[in-house]
Amino acid sequence: MLNNYIPILILMLFAIAFAIVCVFLSKFIGPKNPNPVKLSTYESGMEPVGTARQRFSVKYYMAAMLFILFDIEIVFLYPWAVAYRKFIPNTVYYALIEMSVFIAILLVGYIYMIRKGALNWD
Amino acid sequence: MINKADFINNIPLLIIAATSLLILIIEAIFPHGKKKIGEKIIFYLSIVSLIVAINYSFPQLTVNSLFFSSFLRLSTFSVVVNITMLLGILITVLSSKEYLEKEGINYGEYYSLLFIATLGMMLMVMAYDLIIVFVGLEIMSISFYVLAGFMRKRLESNESALKYFLLGAFFTGFLLMGIALIYGYTGSTSYSFFTNFKNQTEPTYFLGIVLILIAFIFKTGSFPLQMWIPDVYQGAPTVVTGMMSSVGKTAAFGALLVFFTTFGLEKFSMLIAILAILTMLYGNVVALLQTNIKRLLAYSSIAHAGYILIGFILVTPSSTHAVVFYLVSYVLMQLGAFIVIGIVEAQADTMEDRSLSNTLESYKGLGKTNPGLASILSIFLFSLAGIPPFAGFWGKYYIFLSVIQNNFIWVAIVGILLSLIGVYYYIKVILFMWFYEPVTGTIQKSKSEFAFTAAVISTIGLFLFGIYPDLLLRYIRAIF
Repeated sequence: MLNNYIPILILMLFAIAFAIVCVFLSKFIGPKNPNPVKLSTYESGMEPVGTARQRFSVKYYMAAMLFILFDIEIVFLYPWAVAYRKFIPNTVYYALIEMSVFIAILLVGYIYMIRKGALNWD
Repeated sequence: MINKADFINNIPLLIIAATSLLILIIEAIFPHGKKKIGEKIIFYLSIVSLIVAINYSFPQLTVNSLFFSSFLRLSTFSVVVNITMLLGILITVLSSKEYLEKEGINYGEYYSLLFIATLGMMLMVMAYDLIIVFVGLEIMSISFYVLAGFMRKRLESNESALKYFLLGAFFTGFLLMGIALIYGYTGSTSYSFFTNFKNQTEPTYFLGIVLILIAFIFKTGSFPLQMWIPDVYQGAPTVVTGMMSSVGKTAAFGALLVFFTTFGLEKFSMLIAILAILTMLYGNVVALLQTNIKRLLAYSSIAHAGYILIGFILVTPSSTHAVVFYLVSYVLMQLGAFIVIGIVEAQADTMEDRSLSNTLESYKGLGKTNPGLASILSIFLFSLAGIPPFAGFWGKYYIFLSVIQNNFIWVAIVGILLSLIGVYYYIKVILFMWFYEPVTGTIQKSKSEFAFTAAVISTIGLFLFGIYPDLLLRYIRAIF
């Protein structure tokens, strides 16, 4: 029974070996002539300014989080809207109520967010 | 397709879900002012909705069928465990008000998160599909991560939340990988499907079960994966620790029991027996050396996970009854002990004093400065040690009885010997409270009426089920 898994084992061994070989090959064969520009931090071709370890305002994360939240809402709404025709006429209320509940839950989050001032930038 | 019966039979679940949203709205509408109208409304609303949910759960004890396109299963087992958890959350809500006010974190979000966690825990126990187990576990865990870090200004609380989050997220991956492997082999995630696969030894399927088992061992805090328990339990707010260590574990064990009965894991019985013994050994022995009472109870909760795990060696009706009885008594006594610790902690005025008040030293002479509190804590500790006439004794009794009936007598002998070690550190705390002089001056009388009420409710429960266990067994015996 375990015989079926031998190909997977071989593949795993190959994958590990390949990774190790690649890492060491580039280390031994690759040419090395470093200069200050090469060693500096890569910032899309710009000259590095200051340290990368800055503190970001928490508002930034707040906006990002809310964006993801409502982005996902759209992602769910879109296929629902496309498939909505298929629910007519038998189960149209079912589909409508299902989505209403989903939106109502997100609406609570929206009210909460507005009242707590998550969107006030200053 | 969802029909009316799904909603009517799952009213407790819906109440809990609706309350969590309602609390968020109330929190948003009422500003934090001097009058604290919002806080009061939220507190009483939580209590009322929990009582209503418990009330609606009792008629379901006789229901035994599948709901929501066979994603959820209501059985006597799941309803009994749900009622236990709801009761535990009710006690937690009662006990947390004064503690949170003292810490200055009495926000509505706490209650909302508590309710969301409850929703997840109920889903976990009622789940009849591996995906629902996963969803419930995640809802519960994510709420727990936030609750553990609820005291934002305390460093140890942040540490606890971060540790819990990183490890929890890691082991959720194990659960998901296990589900994926089982799905890959059987082509389904529904529990009703797996009865055909009971004696499979196909490696994919086997590995899937083992991975899910690993995730559950982590969540229940059993031996090889117990390392997160002391740090997380010590750092989290005391009321949250009490809730996590009792109600959270109940949910994990409840889901694990459903998993065991579905998959028929008799071939794991020797492994579980060894794990149970190692868990008891580790928890009891390391607890001997602790100087912080929260840490001590964290290690004792590891030991208790070991006792409960004994019931999983062979899942028979008698061991299921024993596990459920143990869980009920464990929720009452563990939660009660943490409530008392929370009351003691809330008596100190500064943040440093509150951290210090968790050391065993500061419990010296509590019997003289606050006899009421000390006697209640003594009752909880006696019950945790398994001394009659408290419910903890019957919990241990039925657990060891069931394992003897299943012909694992050596496990019972080792377990009883190890629980004797446990008696030492419980008695040590009681000794500190009653036979030592107070270290610091007189502690003022506590103003935590709600928390005290909650502790008294737990005590009454322990006495009631200890003296008259049939009160509880009547419901539990109906499980199979």
